[in-house]
Amino acid sequence: MQLTYLEAIRQGIWEEMERDPSVFCLGEDIGIYGGAFKVTDGFIDRFGPERVIDTPIAESAIVGAAFGASLTGMRPVAEFQFMDFIGCAFNQISNMVAKTHYLWGAPAPLVLRGPSGGYVHGGPFHSQNPEMWFVHNPGLKVICPATPYDAKGLIKAAIRDNNPCIFFEHKYLYRRIKGEVPAEDYVVPIGKATIAREGRDISIITYAAMVHSALQAGEVLSKEGIDLEILDLRTVSPLDREAIAQTVKKTNKVIILHEHSRTGGLAGEIAAIINEEAFDDLDGPIVRIAGLDSAIPFSPPQEEHYLPKVSDVVREARHLKGY
Amino acid sequence: MGTKKTKSKQSSNGNRSRNGAFRSKLNPTDLRAYSIPDLRLEHPDLTVRQAIKKDKDGAEHVRYEVEGNLNAPVPPIRDSKYLDKKQCIEIYRYMLLNRKMEVALENLYKQGKVVGGVYFGLGQEACSCASAYALDQDDWFAPMIRNQGSLLVRGFRASDTMMQYMAKADSPTRGRDGTSHFGDIEKRNMVSPISMLGDLIPVLSGVALGARLQGRNVAVMTYIGDGGQSTGVTYEGINFAAVQNLGLVLFLESNLWAYSTPSEMQYRCKDLAERAIAYGIPGVIVDGTDACQVYDAARDAVERAHRGEGPTLIEAKMMRMKGHAIHDAAAYVPKPMLDFWKKRDPIARFENYLVKEKKWLMPKENAELIAEVERIIEEEREIAVNSPMPTPESAEGGVFCEDGCHEIKPKYGVPKVKRGTGAGPKQTEAAVHLR
Repeated sequence: MQLTYLEAIRQGIWEEMERDPSVFCLGEDIGIYGGAFKVTDGFIDRFGPERVIDTPIAESAIVGAAFGASLTGMRPVAEFQFMDFIGCAFNQISNMVAKTHYLWGAPAPLVLRGPSGGYVHGGPFHSQNPEMWFVHNPGLKVICPATPYDAKGLIKAAIRDNNPCIFFEHKYLYRRIKGEVPAEDYVVPIGKATIAREGRDISIITYAAMVHSALQAGEVLSKEGIDLEILDLRTVSPLDREAIAQTVKKTNKVIILHEHSRTGGLAGEIAAIINEEAFDDLDGPIVRIAGLDSAIPFSPPQEEHYLPKVSDVVREARHLKGY
Repeated sequence: MGTKKTKSKQSSNGNRSRNGAFRSKLNPTDLRAYSIPDLRLEHPDLTVRQAIKKDKDGAEHVRYEVEGNLNAPVPPIRDSKYLDKKQCIEIYRYMLLNRKMEVALENLYKQGKVVGGVYFGLGQEACSCASAYALDQDDWFAPMIRNQGSLLVRGFRASDTMMQYMAKADSPTRGRDGTSHFGDIEKRNMVSPISMLGDLIPVLSGVALGARLQGRNVAVMTYIGDGGQSTGVTYEGINFAAVQNLGLVLFLESNLWAYSTPSEMQYRCKDLAERAIAYGIPGVIVDGTDACQVYDAARDAVERAHRGEGPTLIEAKMMRMKGHAIHDAAAYVPKPMLDFWKKRDPIARFENYLVKEKKWLMPKENAELIAEVERIIEEEREIAVNSPMPTPESAEGGVFCEDGCHEIKPKYGVPKVKRGTGAGPKQTEAAVHLR
């Protein structure tokens, strides 16, 4: 059936709650209101207020409580109203949750999920892509799906995973894209990238909403005889090193595209992986397209300037083709 | 009690209080009244403040000084409502183990066998041991750095803590962390602390939430200091437990010094137990150097938790009798204050209670008990010292739970699922934020 990105996530969580009584949800306004983006709309009527818990506005308490419950063998799914607010719980995630299995051998099967990303004029506190705060944090799995199929398969995989998973839902995609989602149960493996578009000239390594920008650029460039290959990472930690190396070995030219700020961004890490795995295969410089090194501004013309655009990909690809 | 307050003087700004608010015109009987039970048999009135002192050369230095009645007599131990002779002696034995383990740790440090520092619970043994003693087997707890006695009560061995300090391969974290930073979710139901203060409070609340979803009301005990309670996550955690009515038993250990900062510079209210009023939960004050008071308050709170009646805040007043860690000589503590609390040593007081007052322990039995504890600690020390250091390569692995290293299942049984008649996820599209 055709589902939106948001419906796919909603269905994934719903099915896991039906399947496994140890799964429960907690977060701000997720119950009767159904969440700020309505991801959990209708859940409280079905699963009851015991399993769909409206919490105080206290992100450290939400993460702490989810972690504590996970220690008793529950599988909590905690919602951040916006992923920007995950900073409020940073210590709990970074120092408590992420380190627990390595230090004292306790698994923490929990999911922290919520909307992230720009292109909706949410301003500096409702548009961020804070995934890199956690990529640099061993012990966490960081997931950023781009399609309804992957969103559903990955939220189910995250709920079933025995480790803390941070699940970034791109809010620009929530209701803008639809895709085919099978009715039967399936999961998408965490840590595996996928080829969103096969091509032979230049690889675009990207994820989340930027996959769709890259696909649009691919359409434009195909008319010019430039054939893009688009690698959708799907999981940004752990990274699929093999898939990254493979696409570079195939096309020999690579552009890394992400929404968050350039400095210390994921592109730097991917460039280093390419250096380690496929240096001899490169026929041109590794190109980065990323957000500006500033906060993400509010006003639409400013936000548009801050964020990567389809035209940026087209321009950089044309330039790189010349090598 | 019963003393009538004389009418307070009119303030200089007329009928307005200092913050500009009008004084209440309400009848006093309309005002809500709260009380905080206080089990203590004395109420020390010492206050610490910064004062400028001149040295012999006339140079000025800012130092702490203490004011109050420093010569008050040591109060008796309050008879427990619950503890019998055997239990009192058992708690006393744990307190001895706690102290003698820390003496052994200090010696290991001096012998260069400890990696990093040593943290002590000197003066706080009654609070650590009698609190944990009030828990049932299925209950959970998480210690703070000074609650090394709680670990002994919950069944860890002294060698576990010693090996943690020596960063040994056989330590509970296999060298990966030190001190009381370890846990066990299988048998002893202990959550490992982290160095950041207050984060354990929501975590333990979550443990109670998880257990409740599985049909069990467990008590979840943890600790915070007068310093640590300044953190925001402390508020978040207690408030979460309060609104969710979770069986949190929070020991607020007012040990008067947060590293080198006195409690007067951490908070403004008189007693931290008053905070309970603001959370809408019961609070109680105990003398943290009196094992019977600590136990009674803890047991009441644990039973409330088991009945599903929610959290309790217990303020235990005492003093940290050593520096923050072994490197810290605590020269900032005014000596008269240290002397005042030395007289309130929890072990000496409990020993006096058991041997002289109650005569539950004959002097000879007491001497035998002390000798037995010393022998155990020596054996534990031997085990710890003889454990090898971990291999360098053992730093690797274990970041993730993978390849079936843990089977995850609800600890107290499969949660009972209630199903409403809601047929499927709703498809509402209305009133969505930031489309």
